Amino acid sequence: MSVIKKPDLTNPVLRAKLAKGMGHNYYGEPAWPNDLLYIFPVVILGTFALVIGLSVLEPSALGEKADPFATPLEILPEWYFFPTFNLLRVLPNKLLGVLAMASVPAGLLTVPFIENINNFQNPFRRPIASAVFLFGTFVAIWLGIGACLPINKAITLGLF
Amino acid sequence: MRKECRRKIGKSFDFLVLASIAIQQLVLPASRANAFPIYAQQAYKNPREANGRIVCANCHLAAKTVELEAPQSILPDQVFETTVKIPYDTSKKQILGSGKKGGLNVGAVLVLPEGFKLAPKDKLSAELKSKIASVYITPYSPTLENILVVGPVAGEKNQEIHFPILAPNPETDKRVHFFKYPLYVGGNRGRGQVYPDGQKTNNNQYLSSVSGKVVNIEINEKTGTKVSVQDTNGNNSEQLIPAGLDLLISKSDIIRVDQPLTADPNVGGFGQTDKEIVLQNPTRIYGYVAFAFVTMLTQVLLVVKKKQFEKVQAAEMNF
Repeated sequence: MSVIKKPDLTNPVLRAKLAKGMGHNYYGEPAWPNDLLYIFPVVILGTFALVIGLSVLEPSALGEKADPFATPLEILPEWYFFPTFNLLRVLPNKLLGVLAMASVPAGLLTVPFIENINNFQNPFRRPIASAVFLFGTFVAIWLGIGACLPINKAITLGLF
Repeated sequence: MRKECRRKIGKSFDFLVLASIAIQQLVLPASRANAFPIYAQQAYKNPREANGRIVCANCHLAAKTVELEAPQSILPDQVFETTVKIPYDTSKKQILGSGKKGGLNVGAVLVLPEGFKLAPKDKLSAELKSKIASVYITPYSPTLENILVVGPVAGEKNQEIHFPILAPNPETDKRVHFFKYPLYVGGNRGRGQVYPDGQKTNNNQYLSSVSGKVVNIEINEKTGTKVSVQDTNGNNSEQLIPAGLDLLISKSDIIRVDQPLTADPNVGGFGQTDKEIVLQNPTRIYGYVAFAFVTMLTQVLLVVKKKQFEKVQAAEMNF
């Protein structure tokens, strides 16, 4: 099999690093030249072959000629704007809609400050921030799906 | 000379279109409002509007599904088959122009990229020939050979309509390139709901034009049903409903404006979809196969070299 270097456990520097959960580059298969010189080019060439194969067999379509006088049948923004687009078309008042749109980045701004007295990084130990994140994600996906449906199903998704 | 030739071809195409319409009229005498592509052919130069909608949807209002099957890629001058699937419940009957009930018809329009056209008969395989024997495919117009129209044909046996298509060759046809092209298809079952002049056909739900009390319903099998409504001021108004529609109201009912007087008879509908097809250059495939082979050879050699070098490392204990 391949060349494997054993960890030298008599080395105090390595032992100190291992104790901290580091120092894994001191043993195992050597990066140079075994990995970098021989296996990296294998992977790079493989990627090239796949990408070129895709572009030969499945080229991207040109699409239609632009026509500023042809309004599409279904007007939809880019997919990442679906949730805010849905907010804007569902809220009856334009000012309210714009405020709701503006509150999205405003809400995102508060995220670093929620629970900032909490010393843990682990999301499971930051319950409020995690809950806000999960709730926001759920609402965004829900509204995003609603944006693709007729206006009478925009909020209920036709489920209720 | 060339122009004359083209005009002659155009004329023969006109004749074909006329003949096909005449045949349809003979075969289906009772259905003035059938899915006649001629309505679209008269009114629209191109059946696909700039916003992507196929014009059949202007008369066939209900939305139904349609599927398109086509190969992923084709070579120049190749005859290939695309299949339009127009599924519907064959147990359903629709109202005909005469007011009688009858089976549904289907029709399809296939918008090919410029340069693609219907495959000539002599290039078809025996299998493909037998598949398309039951339908008559015509170009949309003499100038638009790349748009094909079928129908109306009896729906029971033609829920799948096969189009044999001849791919163009970019070497002889300078409008065509080795690209990925879109195919657009519209499929329809059942009769239309609007005539080209905007009038409703009898394949519609009829709504009350006034509020009031139904004082009389006069049923006539030929001319239709006459509904007399008296409003609160005592004014009588009459509304004529074509024969064959199922009434939802009865005498002495109180009705409001826009209340449906009949059940909705429409069981058909129109759907459109699209698919992409690659016009493939054979030399690109050969080139890619050669490239992939060289790549694999290089990868194998790199691995072999690594194995050899590992032996050197192990022998010298230098790692």
